[in-house]
Amino acid sequence: MTALLRYQAALLVRSQRWLSPVLLYAAFMGIAVRAGDPVLDSFGYAAAALLPVAAWLVRVCTGTEPAAARTCAAAAAGPARAHLASVLTALLGALALGTVGTLYVALIGDPHTADHRTGIPLGRATAAGLLAALACALLGTAVGALCNRPLLRGPGWAVSATAVTTLLVLVAGASPANAAVSGLVEGSHTGAVPLPLLPLAVTCLAAAGATALACALSSRRT
Amino acid sequence: MRLRGVGRRYGLGGPWVLRGIDLELAPGSLVRVEGTNGSGKSTLLRLLAGIDAPSAGRITGRPRTAYVPERFPAELPLSARGYLVHLGRIHGLGRTAAERGAGEWLERFGAAGHADTALTELSKGSSQKVAVAQALLGAPGLLVLDEAWTGLDRAARAELDAAVAERVAAGGTVVFVDHDPRRLSGAADTVLRVADARLTPVAAHRPDASGPRPKGPEDDAGPWVAVVTEGPPGTGLPPDLPGAPRHEPLAPGRVGPGPVRLTVGAAHSDALLRALLTAHPPWHIRSVTELPVTAATPPEGP
Repeated sequence: MTALLRYQAALLVRSQRWLSPVLLYAAFMGIAVRAGDPVLDSFGYAAAALLPVAAWLVRVCTGTEPAAARTCAAAAAGPARAHLASVLTALLGALALGTVGTLYVALIGDPHTADHRTGIPLGRATAAGLLAALACALLGTAVGALCNRPLLRGPGWAVSATAVTTLLVLVAGASPANAAVSGLVEGSHTGAVPLPLLPLAVTCLAAAGATALACALSSRRT
Repeated sequence: MRLRGVGRRYGLGGPWVLRGIDLELAPGSLVRVEGTNGSGKSTLLRLLAGIDAPSAGRITGRPRTAYVPERFPAELPLSARGYLVHLGRIHGLGRTAAERGAGEWLERFGAAGHADTALTELSKGSSQKVAVAQALLGAPGLLVLDEAWTGLDRAARAELDAAVAERVAAGGTVVFVDHDPRRLSGAADTVLRVADARLTPVAAHRPDASGPRPKGPEDDAGPWVAVVTEGPPGTGLPPDLPGAPRHEPLAPGRVGPGPVRLTVGAAHSDALLRALLTAHPPWHIRSVTELPVTAATPPEGP
């Protein structure tokens, strides 16, 4: 699996197709997060923005290899493992980006509530921000795994399904990503810093289930 | 490796491309798959290579596998060597072994000059050499070649023939499809024909034989095969050659090493060739001729 991950990471980095999602994330952070903003609000933005970026990175990673090269790697390692490696590479990329984004917020954000009156423990807040980013990256990966090859193959369907699903899981009240982000935003008003452990557990299950389904179908829908 | 009742169709209600296939592939065998265009040859190869899962039935006991597609337009942001090292490591080699293997196989196929060329800039033939090299690099137990010779130059095609013989001699199974009916003719242990979604064995094409020749010591009374071979300078014939061949130098007056003519019972010829090709260092085969039964004389002792 290490060799597969190294191969997929080399493809991702050298293809430069990571550039668009990363620029999207950077642009969003530049607009939504300013120095001196309440830190928990900014953590919420940083986490929410990561969800579409993670879904996009899955699309990039599962689509970089031409079919001929994919069959060669699939014969050597098994199609399911090859597909798992591409999804994991996207998740690792999203996590690296999310970590950078969250630490950037921790550096420039104001560790107070939204009304700037009550102080917020920055260490615990950063931990909550990182966990929320992790939850959003996992759910974005689940969306990406379900909305791309091998489940959806036409680019039109794949891109529109990704966009609609991403929007849904960000705004729907029942979504764990929404729960993680709104937990941070509420905390910014009350001064309490909840760690989004339950949303994280749910997104873990969602990502594992979606990826397992995509990997299982990778040798059946070709 | 065994296939039991294997079938494949695309989509839930699609027509069966292959159906009810029972097949056993022994280690050290060379299998040719024939069939018209669109008959399902490529689907069978993809099932064997594990790229496609069967819609029905089971495939068990697949060894470590490598696959060569017919066309390899690898639009990958890697150099030829970089790609091969990655694939070598996916095949389970260590870093040094993968780097050495990548260099060696590119050299064998005459593409060493393109090692640091980006895959996107390679010609069709050179790309195909990279595709073949990635499969041979890992010394797979099962090698699946889907018209892998297409696009290769003559020297590289001969090199691939030799590499296939080496894989088989080392106990690997090689399954191939090629549009040239003479490809590896006489060497294939099994010929399978795909037609109407079924797989039927065909008698292997062996020169001057209507069917597979029985193998065994009793066959020594049968036809003889002359193999002209040449070793690297300064090396004697490998010991314990199969079939205990009679040997004589081809150019008796010549000083120094030269080609040697080995005469052996036809039943032992495959094994003899394997032993010569896999000797360390390997012997070069110059020609293989079947001798007419009347002209052959029994060996007078090695």
